[in-house]
Amino acid sequence: MLHSERKPDKLRSLGILALNGMFDEMDAVGVLRQAAAEILPGDVAIVSSFGADSAVLLHLVAQVDPSLPVYFLETGKHFAETLAYVETLKSQLGLINVIAIHPDPADVKRFDPNGDLWETDPDSCCHIRKTEPLEPITEQFGGWVTGRKRFQTKERGVLPHFELTSDDRIKINPLAYFTDADVNQYKIDHGLPEHPLFARGYKSIGCAPCTSVVAEGEDPRAGRWRGLNKKECGIHFDFNGAIASPMSAAKFTLHKDGAFIADPFHAWEDGDDAASARYKHIPLPVFLESRDAVLANPHPMGLLVSPGDAIESVEADLGRFASIAIKFPAFSDGRGYSTARLLAERYHYANEIRAVGDVLQDQIPLMRRCGINALVVTHEPTRQALVENRLPEVALFYQPVGVTEVPVGTRPYLRRAH
Amino acid sequence: MYRYDEFDAAFVEGRTAQFADQVKRRLSGELSEDQFRPLRLMNGLYLQLHAYMLRVAVPYGTLNSRQMRKLAHIARTYDRGYGHFTTRQNIQYNWPRLKDIPVILGELASVEMHAIQTSGNCIRNVTTDQFAGAALDEIIDPRPVGEIIRQWSSLHPEFSYLPRKFKIAITGSPNDRAAIRFHDIGLQAAANAAGDVGWEVWVGGGLGRTPMIGKLINSFVPNEHLLAYLESIMRVYNRYGRRDNKYKARIKILVHEEGLETIKGQVEAEFAEVRGGVLTLPSEELDRISAYFEPPAFPSQSATRIDVARELILDPAYGRWLEHNLNSHRQPGYASVTISLKPVGGAPGDATDAQMDVVADLAERYSFDELRVTHEQNLVLPHVAIADLREVYDALVASGLAEGNAGLITDMICCPGLDFCALANARSIPIAQAISHKFAAPERQAEIGDLKIKISGCINACGHHHVGHIGILGVEKKGGELYQITLGGDATQDASVGKILGPGFEADKVPGAIETLVDTYIARRQSADETFIAAYRRLGEAPFKEALYGNG
Ligand code: SF4
Ligand code: SF4
Repeated sequence: MLHSERKPDKLRSLGILALNGMFDEMDAVGVLRQAAAEILPGDVAIVSSFGADSAVLLHLVAQVDPSLPVYFLETGKHFAETLAYVETLKSQLGLINVIAIHPDPADVKRFDPNGDLWETDPDSCCHIRKTEPLEPITEQFGGWVTGRKRFQTKERGVLPHFELTSDDRIKINPLAYFTDADVNQYKIDHGLPEHPLFARGYKSIGCAPCTSVVAEGEDPRAGRWRGLNKKECGIHFDFNGAIASPMSAAKFTLHKDGAFIADPFHAWEDGDDAASARYKHIPLPVFLESRDAVLANPHPMGLLVSPGDAIESVEADLGRFASIAIKFPAFSDGRGYSTARLLAERYHYANEIRAVGDVLQDQIPLMRRCGINALVVTHEPTRQALVENRLPEVALFYQPVGVTEVPVGTRPYLRRAH
Repeated sequence: MYRYDEFDAAFVEGRTAQFADQVKRRLSGELSEDQFRPLRLMNGLYLQLHAYMLRVAVPYGTLNSRQMRKLAHIARTYDRGYGHFTTRQNIQYNWPRLKDIPVILGELASVEMHAIQTSGNCIRNVTTDQFAGAALDEIIDPRPVGEIIRQWSSLHPEFSYLPRKFKIAITGSPNDRAAIRFHDIGLQAAANAAGDVGWEVWVGGGLGRTPMIGKLINSFVPNEHLLAYLESIMRVYNRYGRRDNKYKARIKILVHEEGLETIKGQVEAEFAEVRGGVLTLPSEELDRISAYFEPPAFPSQSATRIDVARELILDPAYGRWLEHNLNSHRQPGYASVTISLKPVGGAPGDATDAQMDVVADLAERYSFDELRVTHEQNLVLPHVAIADLREVYDALVASGLAEGNAGLITDMICCPGLDFCALANARSIPIAQAISHKFAAPERQAEIGDLKIKISGCINACGHHHVGHIGILGVEKKGGELYQITLGGDATQDASVGKILGPGFEADKVPGAIETLVDTYIARRQSADETFIAAYRRLGEAPFKEALYGNG
């Protein structure tokens, strides 16, 4: 095995953002192949839980290179069904480099002699059974493949295909854009075997003691550590194979779902080509001029709406856009609030609506009420206020505004279902 | 009157706590004045010439005695012992200290009052007829709908950063005492063919540097759809109102430049989308709010008339007060009493803490605990038994509040002007004082009859000079102060904007000029029943112009 010492210079020089624009949302194989063969040859590995939806990622690995190292955390706490499933997948997909890693028996003996640490202190349990055993392995590779998907839990927010971690490694997320439905379709298309527990209501499968059945419509990961206030395993570690925290949030300006996160979108520039641009917010007037080209463009695109732009002129095409940016040239220009309400309430636009421009703490509560669900914020005190979650907000309000809000809080006479 | 439920109370409390924190950050230096400015403005706190000024909302001008006593207490404790009632039916304190503001807001909250949306480019406090719920000529009490509009417009997330401030006035009487045609939106109660009461909607009126009379955009909007209709207008204005020039940003300019038909088309298109949606007002809710405004249970009175002519002989001052300061009540045996805040030589609209306390006592004792603030800067006891009038009058005399001049020449509207206002070109209060000295004699005032003089210290027209029968506007010329005189303005249902007669006058010449105009009117009127404005309409400006400037 290649134990590479070199940092992912190539990726660095390429620029992680540029890299993120190179692939169609659903081109998972392309992402993985590029990483394994071009960017980090011999320097990529994967950690798999062999859980309910691990098969898709492992199938991708098998297509790209069946000898890629696949690590399996044998925590000693797995369902027997999971261990059987490891064998099934190995043989069916032809994976030839699956390596089980075990916790240090001395640690187990010392910290979890009765095997009930998961109950009293799951963080420590994960630490000795997953984080510690994995650490020497992560050091050996510059790139890690994960199975994370954007939709999985709220905390994940926007997830790009490639991420640079704080310890200078690359996380490769080929399935970033897959939805639940995409995963299922993929399994069917490729005749992948189900985890034996899946049919019994387990949707996200980890260690036996920490996994429970997920109800219909519930977040698939809600079954993990149910009842414990714990969503991710360890600080630098995620069961699906995330390693090391992403690059410091201080550098991100996009605030969404409660955190500053990496922004897959970039500003539209003069000279950008409507037919081939990707992850750009095209200004509304430019879109109107080049509508056909944009509609034929296969890449993810956003729309920039400035005050004065007639949002009704693009009503029919709103579905084309993964994100709509509403420009607030000055905080005192309130036209964007009307735009946001029209998008959310009248046109039922359900993707990202982001505020850009002069976005300040005192207006954010109003923006959110009008349907804006993401913010691009550079103003430092406002960033601070968001991080500390202390916006100058009156939590009660009279009017029924927005789509999620016919709410406790409006007047009784307005407090009615749509 | 309306009483806060838990929700209203919690809402105001939340806002007060929020602003208290902002003031604290300002005092500690964490917030700069630049950052603090929009925040304080949203809470009615202005920076005036000398000090901060706090403007407190009196929704649709209705108060109870507890609230009035609280206003007195604030004047006494945190200010210099007086407050100023404004043409927006609000009260202003001219000398509060910043560090006291959170405490003052807390005190206000304890009596269901606040300063929310008394400034800033948002929907301001709704104003109405000071005799609402009492007047004989009323079709319907407009205050329940006023309250619902207050709730709907409070911290509205879409309409907090409009192109400019936005004022809504509402009246339930065909005799418009709320100047609804000079508001961004004016609502006038009207009945449709089926006899249901709904609202005429007037849009695009306003004063300021470009005075405009509102235009009728819809002749009947039923209660059920009123909020949806208002929201439609607001959205059209928010999206299309001009933002490139603050002097052209009011909705009146949009209506004027685009034309009523265009705006109406946009509003109707919007209305077609939102009509019948979440803003539909169920009649039970209107009934629920209306119950708060039920008239008091009036005990029946044996005395239903008062012989003013007789009183005029016995006690002329009392007689004049009866003659001018009463408004007909819909309940026999009762009257609405105007308490004049225009004593000769005083500052129009000012009341001391002691006077406020007296008025609160009178309201409690004689007016079913109700009080009103008028847009002409007076106070009103809306429901006084005819039999109690003398007692009320005597108590007012003792407090210097018994001026019998409501509607007369000394009952002037006057803005704060250069004495307080940072924007002023000229003083206005001293002008009002000089005029009232000139016409101090009550007989002379009675002889002149109904005459509205309105004075503004600059083109922003807070003193409504455009709609004064005689309007006076302070302007700056060659380093000095000059006063332009306009004639023929009218804020009622016969709305008109006054016209400038000629060159302005120096301050000390203004009272004389007014006297000349008054003398011309008296000489030319057909009878004592022909009011100044009626005579002006019949005669035109020529005789007045000639009297002032000669016919050279
Ligand atoms: S998932 Fe549960 S059992 Fe497994 S390591 Fe973590 S705490 Fe321990
Ligand atoms: S009219 Fe002018 S001077 Fe008078 S209060 Fe308004 S802004 Fe100030």
